[in-house]
Formats: sequence, structure tokens, C-alpha cells
Amino acid sequence: MSNTIVENLKREIENFTSKLQVEKVGAVLEVFDGIAKVSGLSDVKSSEMVTFANGEVGVALNLEEDAVGVIILGDYSKIKEGDEVKATGKILEVPVGDAIIGRVVNANGVPIDGKGGFKSDKTYPIERVASGVVTRQSVDQPVSTGIKVIDAIIPVGRGQRELIIGDRQTGKTAIAIDAILNQKGQNMICVYVSIGQKDSKLRKIQARLEEGGAMAYTVIVSAGASEAAALSYIAPYTGVSIAEYFMDQGKDVLIIYDDLSKHAVAYREISLLLRRPPGREAYPGDVFYLHSRLLERACRKNKEYGGGSITAFPIIETQAGDISAYIPTNVISITDGQIFLETDLFYKGIRPAVNVGSSVSRVGGNAQIKAMKKVAGPLKLEMAQYRELEAFAQFGSDLDDATKRQIERGKRSVELLKQLQYSPVKVENQIVALYALVKGYMDDVEVNKIKDFEAGLVEYAERNAKTFYKELMTDKMWSDKGEEELKKVIADFKTSFVK
Amino acid sequence: MAKNSYNDIAEAIYLSTHGKSGAMLSESLNDIVNFLNRKRLLSKSKYVLEALNKIVDRTEGRIKVKVKTVKNLHPEAKQELSHILQNKYNAKHVEIVEELDEKVIGGMRIQVDDEVMDLTLKNKIGRLQEYLTNA
Repeated sequence: MSNTIVENLKREIENFTSKLQVEKVGAVLEVFDGIAKVSGLSDVKSSEMVTFANGEVGVALNLEEDAVGVIILGDYSKIKEGDEVKATGKILEVPVGDAIIGRVVNANGVPIDGKGGFKSDKTYPIERVASGVVTRQSVDQPVSTGIKVIDAIIPVGRGQRELIIGDRQTGKTAIAIDAILNQKGQNMICVYVSIGQKDSKLRKIQARLEEGGAMAYTVIVSAGASEAAALSYIAPYTGVSIAEYFMDQGKDVLIIYDDLSKHAVAYREISLLLRRPPGREAYPGDVFYLHSRLLERACRKNKEYGGGSITAFPIIETQAGDISAYIPTNVISITDGQIFLETDLFYKGIRPAVNVGSSVSRVGGNAQIKAMKKVAGPLKLEMAQYRELEAFAQFGSDLDDATKRQIERGKRSVELLKQLQYSPVKVENQIVALYALVKGYMDDVEVNKIKDFEAGLVEYAERNAKTFYKELMTDKMWSDKGEEELKKVIADFKTSFVK
Repeated sequence: MAKNSYNDIAEAIYLSTHGKSGAMLSESLNDIVNFLNRKRLLSKSKYVLEALNKIVDRTEGRIKVKVKTVKNLHPEAKQELSHILQNKYNAKHVEIVEELDEKVIGGMRIQVDDEVMDLTLKNKIGRLQEYLTNA
């Protein structure tokens, strides 16, 4: 055994050749707040990786006449003035491989979950030009989030970029986590990028994903609040590089950036320290490009290029519901729609607190299965009418019957779309419940009993409407026969429920 | 307007003094000191002079080479190294500054400006370590 090891080692050493390399070096002039000014490095490129004498890695961002501004990706307390800095000639890379699934890594791709290293197949550069037009395909397959209001009214497709936006404590992360939990068995790899979040929050999320069995298909990339701004700045790019590795294998990937407001703040900090001119809200001029180049890497590739996809859920935290601030407007314009969460709705008990009126999905119905499209169409209309009439609801008896009926239907729709956290609903069950709603079966059920009605109906239908369910699974749409069966099942259930 | 860099100032000093001698040179130097004083750059004269040295070296084809070894170089080896570097950098004069460092174990490390050719044993062992850990 030991002989084999020695022989192998011998062979490896014999194979080793050391070529003469001319390296470019520089010297540290000053170090402050995670930034180093370096002299020399005459041929260094923008975004090139450099190494410091103590092994820390940096990225050259500012190329000036006398010096180079470098962001330090790690502990900068041990870097001294005069230390040697070497250019590597490479763009920053992260290790990727199938073994990264189920792991928690930092912004450099190094595991931080205490489970040791992982074998990486290769490395991917963190900055890459997004896939070109010829490699892409339009978005036409749904991402099932398991959240009724999203799957029905704001459907998301594989390859889409859907922004989750709202004030603090409105359930933004909850939606993202629910979406990850619902990907079990959906042939989807998930990447959760935590940017500038508290470690306790990340730990909670990791525990929740482990509990739900979601870590079997999830990678967490973390740049915590206590780490340098430079790490928060590169973390989303690390995440999307990992996602691209899986997409290049033809897999579908869901990536969550939680959140890009903190990412912009980290970039603002770096830019100001590098003495780049501040613009609106003190953000640098290229803050739009910061997010557009990141989100443009989400795409759906066509069959000739593997057919994989990256669906992105960027999260933006607003201040007092102000979606017209600089970063929210930027990201809204980059993405293919937004899920807008509101504090008022949250405290009214409407959870997820999605404002259906302000939320939109620009890919829309193309990414819905036919059956869902069929029930979601009337639901959207009813919700829109309800929003118009909601203000009149307090006049009660003075309203005509049709208006009253619409308001009552609206109330039931809102009630039905409420959903507890960590309880994603299968798309077939969503269709059954929504079918019962839009066809008026719930009109005479009291609003406070809608949830019980839904739970009971879904359970009953799963057992008794086998043809309907089978058709949904195979054809993604029901036939007349299936519909008849469902109608009968709903009527039967309703009779027993009323009793 | 953009701030003048030390290189710009050194370039200007070089051009204003180049080819001058005697009273004319003395007058130019006076003007330069006055200029540096007026622009509050006297405290930064070290950096300006460094940049000026580089310009002079470049125009006169002179290179300064830092060589790090365990032992002092043999005169013949020094001569040969000087010759090789003269050809490589197209230089007229090569000034070798030797530095002794036991940590390099063997071989030599040659630095010209910000270019380094690391032929030390320490570097080779480091590369071997990297190669074996990645294998």
C-alpha cells in the first residue's frame, strides 16, 4: 500500500515541469478598509486577480497612472505597506463541481459549513459575458413556486428574472425559501446567495432547507454582514458562476440573490473608497451595469446549446415602500417583472403580502400550464374588479347585486390566495381549488371557512378525482370527462362540508 | 482639470532641463524648485525624483536589476547575467544590485522594474506543492 503511494508520488513528481515565468509584481503603498493601493503591476488588467505575499487574494479594480486600486477578498489586517503583490493574469475564478450541491460556501467558493473541502471538477470565472442571442430560447416552461398567488397571477418561467421587492419584514425571503422548498422532484438545482445578511438568519434558512430536504439540490453562497464589502460585491457573481456550471450541463437552475440592495451598498462602499465619483444617492455611475450584467446571465438556452436555464429571483428591500428610489427602479427595469410585497397587507393578515395590482410578470401566461391558464384568467379579472370595488365594500346594502357578488367573490379570492409559510401547494391542488373558486362553488361558503373548505376539497379530490389529476399530470389540461368528474367531486364535497 | 501626476511633473522637468548646462540649467532648476514650492509639492519631491530617475534611465537605456541569491554572485556569472539582460531589455547599461537572502534556498530571483523572473528553489518547491495538492 505504502509502496503504491510512494510510486504514485514519484510519478507525479517526475511529471512536474516548472517553466520559467516572467511575473509582474508590485508593492503595497497603502492599505485601508479592505482596499490596497499598489505600485507597479504595469500590465495588470481590470478585474484581474492578484495575490498578496500572505496568500490573500485581491481584484484589481482601479487602474491609475501611478498605482492600482485593489479590493482585498479576505483578511486585510495582515497586509503591510511594502508587501509584494503578484499579478496572476487570470480573472477571479471559483471552484465548481457536482459535489458543491448541499454545501455552504463563501464568496470565494470555499466551504464554510465545517464539512471539509469538496472535489471540484473545474473552475469558472466569476465575471463572464452573458449568453448570446443565438444560444437563447424564449421562456415557456413554468417554475412552480408552490405559492398560489404567484403561480396563478404572476407566473414565473424557467429562465425568467422576477424581482421580489418590498419593505423589511414583508416576507421576501420567505417567498424565495418556499420556492426552493417546492423544487423537490422538479428537476431544479437551487442557488441561494446571501449578501450582507446576519449569520443567524442564514443559519435559520440552512436549517429550514435541511429540514425540508432541500439541501439535496441547493447550494448556499454566503457573504455575511461581518465580512468585507468586497466579498459582498463578488458573492452574486460567484453564485451565478456556480449556476452556469449546472446550466452548461443542461440543467435548470433557480438562483436567489438576497438581497441586491445590500449588494449595491457594498459596491457603493468600495467605489467611494476607491475614490470613484459618486452619483445619485452616492452610488457610482456604473451601478446599473453592476446589476444588469449580473441578471443578464439568467437565461434559457436552446436545445443546441444544452437547453439549460437560470431563473433569477433578485430581492430588493425598499424603504417605506418607495419603489421609485434609485436601485429599485434600476432593478425593476432590468427584470422581467416584480412581486411587490406590502407592509399594510402583511399586517392585515394577507400573507404572502403580495400586492396583486402592482405585481407583474412580463413573461406571463407563456410560462403557465394550460390548465392553470384556464383558471387563472378569470381569477385575474375578478381580482382586478375587486380592487376597483373594494373601496365601496363598506356601503354594503346600498350596492346592487352584481357589485355585491363581485365583492364577495373578491373576498373569497383573497382568502383562498392566503398561504402559510413553508407550505407550498402542488400545482394540481392549486388548480382544483382555483377551479372551485372561479366556477362559483365557494360563493356560499363563509369567508372564514374558505381555508378549511380548500384543505378538505383538495384532500377529497386527490382521492376521488383520479382521472382529472391524471390528465393534469400527463396532458397539463383536463378533458370534458375529467372536468365532469371534478365538478361531481366538488359538489359531493360541498354537500358534506355544508353539513 | 485632472491632477498632474508625479510622472507628468517629472516628464516636464526632464524636458525643461534636457540639453541645458551652466547658467541656463541653474536658472531652470531654480524655476523648478519655485514651481514645486508654489504647488506645495516639495514634500513629495521624493516621488517626483523617483519618476525622474525612471525617465532618465529609460531614455539613456539603463536598467537597474535586483538579484536575490543565497551567496554573492561569481563575477563571471554576474557578467553573463548582465549580458543576457542587456539583450533581453535592449539596454545599454545594466546595474546589478545584489541582495542576499537565505530563504530562497538556491537559484536566483531577478527583478527589473516590476518584472520578476523567479528561478529560486523556494519558488520551485512552492509550485511543486501547488501541483501535488491539485493533482
